[in-house]
Order: sequence, then C-alpha cells, then structure tokens
Amino acid sequence: MRTISALWLRNIRGFVRDRVKLVTSLVIPFFFLYVFSSIFKTDQVEDPTAFLLAGIIVATVFQTSLNIATSTIDDTVSGFMKEILVSPTSRFKVALGQILSAATIATAQGILILIIGFFTGLRFNNWETIIYVLFALMLVGLVFSGLGLFLASMVKSASTFQVVQQAVVLPFTFLSGAYIPIDFLPKVLKFVSYFNPMTYTTAFFRTIMLEKGGLPQGDLLKLGLAFDLNGFIITPWMSGGIIAIFGALFLYLATNSFVRADFNKISRNPLVRR
Amino acid sequence: MKSIIEVRNYTKKYGDFTAVDDVSFSVKEGSIFAFLGPNGAGKSTTINTLVTMMEKTSGTLIIDGKDVSTEKDEVRKAIGVVFQTQTLDEKMTVTENLNMHCVFYGVPKNEVKDRIHFVLDLVDLLDWKDKSVSNLSGGMKRRVEIARALLHYPKVLFLDEPTSGLDPQTRNKMWEYITRLQKEKNITIFLTTHYMDEAEICDHVAIMDNGKIMVDDTPANLKRRYTKDKATVQVKNPALFEETLIKENFSFKKEKNIFHVVVDIDDIQQFLDLIQLFKNEVKDLEIKKGTLNDVFLEITGKEIREEASE
Ligand SMILES: Nc1ncnc2c1ncn2[C@@H]1O[C@H](COP(=O)(O)OP(=O)(O)OP(=O)(O)O)[C@@H](O)[C@H]1O
Ligand SMILES: [Mg+2]
Repeated sequence: MRTISALWLRNIRGFVRDRVKLVTSLVIPFFFLYVFSSIFKTDQVEDPTAFLLAGIIVATVFQTSLNIATSTIDDTVSGFMKEILVSPTSRFKVALGQILSAATIATAQGILILIIGFFTGLRFNNWETIIYVLFALMLVGLVFSGLGLFLASMVKSASTFQVVQQAVVLPFTFLSGAYIPIDFLPKVLKFVSYFNPMTYTTAFFRTIMLEKGGLPQGDLLKLGLAFDLNGFIITPWMSGGIIAIFGALFLYLATNSFVRADFNKISRNPLVRR
Repeated sequence: MKSIIEVRNYTKKYGDFTAVDDVSFSVKEGSIFAFLGPNGAGKSTTINTLVTMMEKTSGTLIIDGKDVSTEKDEVRKAIGVVFQTQTLDEKMTVTENLNMHCVFYGVPKNEVKDRIHFVLDLVDLLDWKDKSVSNLSGGMKRRVEIARALLHYPKVLFLDEPTSGLDPQTRNKMWEYITRLQKEKNITIFLTTHYMDEAEICDHVAIMDNGKIMVDDTPANLKRRYTKDKATVQVKNPALFEETLIKENFSFKKEKNIFHVVVDIDDIQQFLDLIQLFKNEVKDLEIKKGTLNDVFLEITGKEIREEASE
C-alpha cells in the first residue's frame, strides 16, 4: 500500500508542478469547444454545447490518461525507473500506483472542465447525476490509464513512442463521436468507429451527463447514444459494459506486460547520460 | 573472513556478442573490491547482473548466500546500488527522493526521518535537503545517489564508476565517504573504476579486459607479481658502473650515459650496497615504484585509456 500511495502522490505532485502541462491541458478543451460547436448545432440536439462538452470531457480524460505512457517512458529515460526496479518493491504495486495516479489526474481534469461547463450554462436536473458522472469519469480514467501503461511497457524506443501516441490518439478521438457525430463520418470510417472503445465510452458518458438514460430507444439512436449494428441495438448501458470489459482487459495486459517489461531495452537519449 | 559475493563461471552474451566470458571471483565481507578495466571491458554488465537488473547467460552468482537469479527480492534487500548512469527523480527534492527510497525498501516509517538525516550528514548535503534535484551539480547528485543507496542499510554497496566526471576535490571527498563507510559500518563495497590511483586504495582488484578477468589480487600482490621498481642512475664513470652491474647480475638498460637499472623489490638491499659502493660517483638517482598502471600494461599490453592517468 505504501508503494502505491507514495507513487500516486509523487505523480500528482509532478503533474501539479508542471505548470505548462497543467495550463495547456485546460486550455485545449475550450479551443475544441469553440471549433466544433457549430457541428453539433443540428436540430436533433436541443443542447448542443452540453452535448459537445460531454464529448470533450471524455476525449480529455482519454488523452490525459494516456499521458501515463509518456511519464512512464520519461521515468525510464531519466533512469528513475531503474531505481524502482532494483528495489524489492513489487512491480505490480508500481504498475497500480502509476495507473491510479494517471486515472486521478485524468478524472480531476474532467471535473475541472465540468466545473467550467457549469459557468457556461450546464445544468443537471437530478443532483445524483453529479455522482454518476464522477464514477463514469473514474471508470474512463482507469480504463485508458491501463491502455497507456500497456503501450508504455511495449515500447522499444522513446522517440518512436511519440509517433505511436499520435497514431493512437487521433483516430481514437476523432472516430468516437466525441468531437464529430459519427453519423457525419464516411461509411468506412463509421464502420471502423464501431471497433473503437472510445465510441462506446463517449456514448455511455454522454447519456449519463446529459441525463438521457430514460429516453426511448428510437431517440437514443437518433442522438447517437445507442448504435444499431445490423438490427442489434447497443444501448448506452451495454456500452458501459463494453468499456468495463475493455478496462479489465487493458488493466490485465498493462500490469502483466509491465511486470515483464525489460526496461533496460528502452533506448536512452544519449544526451540524458551524465 | 567469509565471502559475501561468489561468482562462478558467469557468462553474459548480447546476442552473439560475448560481453563477459566465463568469469569467476569472490569478494570478502567488509572489503573494498574494485573492477578495473577499459571501456567495454564488461564491468557494468557484471554489476547489472549482480544487482538483478539483467539476466545472466550462464553461471552462478551468489550474494550473501542468495542466488541472484532465483532469489531476486532477497538479493535486492541486501544491496545498495549506484548505477553508472544517473537514476534520480529530477523533478523532486532531495528529501522526496530519499523518502521514496525508504518506501520502496520498506524502511519503518518512524525511522525514515532519522535515516535521511544520517545519510545526508554523511555526504555533507544537509543544507540541500529541500532543493530540487535538478538544481544540484553533477557531483552533488552523485553524493545524493550514494546517500540514497545507504538508506536501507545494505550489506553490499555497488558503485559503478562513482567518481567519473567529478573534479579532484569531489573525488577525494567521495573516497572519504566510501572508506569511512567500510570502516564504520563494515559494508562491503564493490566498485568499478578507470582510475589506477583509486584501485590502489582498494583491498582487492580484479583487472578486466574484453570480458575476462585477467588477474584478481590485492594491489600490493599485483605490483609485487607484475612490476619491478625502476632506478635511474647517473654516474661519473659509466664504464666502471656497467662492469659492476654485469658482475652483480643486474638487468639494466643503458641510454647514453644514464643507466636505467631495473631492480627487483627483493633485491633492494643488493642495490643499496651497490649504490654505497659508488656513493662518490652518483650524480643523480631516482627510484620509481611500480604502479597498477604497469600491472595493467604488463597484463593487457595496453595503456588504460588516457584520462585515467592524471
Ligand atoms: N544492451 C546491450 N546490448 C548489446 N551490447 C551491449 C549492451 N550493453 C553493453 N554491451 C556491450 O558489452 C560490452 C561491455 O559493456 P559494459 O557496459 O559492461 O562495459 P564497461 O566495462 O562497463 O565499460 P565502461 O567503462 O565504458 O562503462 C561492450 O562492448 C558493450 O558494447
Ligand atoms: Mg560501465
């Protein structure tokens, strides 16, 4: 427990101390809100800003979670990972500490955007919604921190990872309905988006945040909160289940590959050596 | 004294390349043991395997009775490690770094503060405890790393080139800490170095080259075995001196009228007698002790890289 909580605290501290990262990660969501808000102004959606805001929160939590990979690789390149791995502490606990801190930071980001959202007119009809939203944020944070750590422990070189990360982030966010409704996508991409865990994450989170859980299936389909796969309807709750399954898979893969990873192999930037 | 490190027939290959080739040695408890060798000799490879960070290809490596490959956690508890490359958490303060180490090694919570004070005092860094590591100089960072490696009271301390890149004062200081630790805490110290003068201070030296240990002994024995003291003598009457040298069976080399007389350490008395004989003839006399550098030269046939001799 001590290892997990100490690592957790360290990572949170590191994030808070990094002012630039903190500020940019708050500014970018509003940039997206500004850019994409026109796209959602269709007649099906009565509150387009909230609709987009929910998508942006999910996308931000997703991207922030993936930062775990960058920070884990940074720790490897800076050598700190060696200090951890040569100690008798269990790698499993180290992996958990990394995942939990990344999930926490991601959730906190989501909450910050949500708070700013309240100033732009976001309202909940039921007060319980806020609790559901928090739980949903934590779930999303955990799932994708798992994915991030998994990617980090598969990586062979720090510089290629930059490319890998871009290659993961862009399609995952843009083919999920978070920024652009998937109905707007070309047929092929729409098909691809059904294999994207972020698609279900977005639908699930939106349903909760916009309090659409009670709507009839037809309306959900029209709003892009449920999906019709050849007549089989994926409801928002099924989406929740799908994320949970992906989450369990990612967490398993992440801890497993982290425990086995050979961090000696990650190529170091020669400039970092003393 | 018993051996705390036992290495038998250790081999490490990177793919087809054999970095360490069938090496055996042992280290006595409480001693300072140095691996001396040029770049790429296989020193770090050996240390990394000993500290459980790298798998061996074959052989047996035992630390404090525990097998390095199968009892990793036990070995990790017993050792402190300072790697060749830096492993500090740059964004955190010195104290935060040390605290974290105590967590990883399960140092009892109520002792953490005292131990941090103790180790920082040892390396004279108490004034820097709340500074961010990124603000420290290279030498200070090295000292923090040594302090950190001591927090859990290891039995064996591994130092991979602890003094490389440090200025002479800091190097001396570092050696003060190292020898003090060995004496006061009876910690076994295993280190690698390129510096001959540093190896000289150690109890035991293994000279490594191309993945093999060429020799392994105390510095004094190595010098006795592989070097001879050299005397350079200049006399008024070289011809007579030469004649005497031949008569007395000295091996020597003549350069113009300066005599290089190579004298075995056992024969120092005989040489003194000779000088006594010529005491009114001698214009100049210089005796040079054999150094580990000579040992190295004798064994590997090459000079250890230039920066080693300063
Ligand atoms: N990960 C690796 N993969 C392949 N070859 C390696 C690897 N690490 C080291 N080597 C090679 O193994 C040999 C021994 O390297 P090692 O780092 O043990 O030398 P060293 O004695 O510590 O040298 P130095 O004094 O430069 O630190 C070198 O030839 C090196 O190129
Ligand atoms: Mg080395």
